[in-house]
Amino acid sequence: MSENPITEVKMRQFLLGTLDDIERQQIETLFITDPSSRERLLAAEQDLIEDYLEGSLTTADRESFLLHYADTPEQLQKLRITQTVREWAIKKGTAADRPIATTTIWNRLRDILQGRPVFVVPLAVTAIILIVIAAVWVNRRTERNHLQVGSEEIARLNDPASLRQTPPLMSIVVLSPLSVRSAEKEAEVAKPATGSLVELRLLWLQKEDYPKYQAVVRRVGSDESQTVPALYSDADRSAIRMRLPAHFLRRGTYLVELSGIDARGTVGPTEEYKFIVSG
Amino acid sequence: MKDLYEKMPRHSAVQPDSFDEILAWLNPDRELAAKLYVQLRHDLTKIFTWNRCLDPEGLTDEVFDRVAKKVHQLMHTYEGDPRLFFYGVARNLIKEIPKRMKTQVSLEGSDFAATPTHKAEDEKAILREDCLQLCLQELSEEKRELILAYYAKEKQAKIDHRTEMAQRLGTSVETLRVRAHRIRGGLEQCIERCIKSRSSAE
Repeated sequence: MSENPITEVKMRQFLLGTLDDIERQQIETLFITDPSSRERLLAAEQDLIEDYLEGSLTTADRESFLLHYADTPEQLQKLRITQTVREWAIKKGTAADRPIATTTIWNRLRDILQGRPVFVVPLAVTAIILIVIAAVWVNRRTERNHLQVGSEEIARLNDPASLRQTPPLMSIVVLSPLSVRSAEKEAEVAKPATGSLVELRLLWLQKEDYPKYQAVVRRVGSDESQTVPALYSDADRSAIRMRLPAHFLRRGTYLVELSGIDARGTVGPTEEYKFIVSG
Repeated sequence: MKDLYEKMPRHSAVQPDSFDEILAWLNPDRELAAKLYVQLRHDLTKIFTWNRCLDPEGLTDEVFDRVAKKVHQLMHTYEGDPRLFFYGVARNLIKEIPKRMKTQVSLEGSDFAATPTHKAEDEKAILREDCLQLCLQELSEEKRELILAYYAKEKQAKIDHRTEMAQRLGTSVETLRVRAHRIRGGLEQCIERCIKSRSSAE
């Protein structure tokens, strides 16, 4: 990440073409060389397009916008596509927000209990709520226990002394950050055998290296998330190593958010990685 | 190897040898170099577009053609990030072609958000929506839900909604924004391809 990240205001001025040449070139240089500035600028461009489509730009900004973003048939086509995505999502969102009027479990239960003594209704509802709460609690508790046991073991596997050793049952998987592999097929990791390890080598393409890194590993579609507070780069500083035990990995898609931590403990830039555990 | 050559621009004068040298100069790891190359092409095209140059893709080809002529020497003498050299060439091109840049655009009729729709536009809108539905099916369920939720609200409600979404996903609004941007980028490319193929089939 750049030491002086570009402010939101500057990014918007840049995108609307109202920035002087020197600042323009500084932003373009960061766009080319700094993945985090690049992502932020592209996302800011999307926000600008959304603001235009919502009609929330000032007249001057709207005119600058049209000059830069509605100048060619291709640009107009892109704007229309973004508008279609937004309108579709808003339509879907509105439908999802609408209260459900018929055939809910509650309605069916009410029908069944109709005509029964008055106390039956609250009792039945209370029982159902208790069953649901208990099921959720048991499920969460099991997952939490699994994660707690895992966190100590993962920390041990990734300490510098352990990293110097190469266990016999260990496979190595190299992952590129999502910022450079958007068009690529997602990396697949075959479910490792019980008792073995997987070492993820997370390619670090940011300009600066850090003495330590922190990762949050999340299994998509579940509450499972594991923070690994201390990770270290390999000898040539091109990748960060993270070892995970086989029993930690279940079938599914995992997202890893990796951040650099400087000597003062400040969290630096973040890269994202994704992999699928199959088999 | 064949796949990498497919990444070369179709109308470029860059010879395969020079293309190999460009890749080697970008990064010694050939696979990573190919990714950097694709991204650099995209970024330079974007910079030409932001500078309101006509034919941004043609100008990007021109940058690579110019660098290709010098790359053999550059890879031994140039110090620093090679991408900055490409950017320098792009900057020179922007200065060289002021005549090709538009200085004015008529706002009449181009403010499509404010223009009433006509029959032809209605038909195109239906096509876009059909393609959107097709492309949404190509996304994973997680991505589909994220992108639809991300764009589900407007104005102030949108800001609150995205903050809630980020909290629910255990991430920052900034990271969520970048994630949504990536998904939407892929979705738009898919819709563009779908529109093109349906239009050419008619």
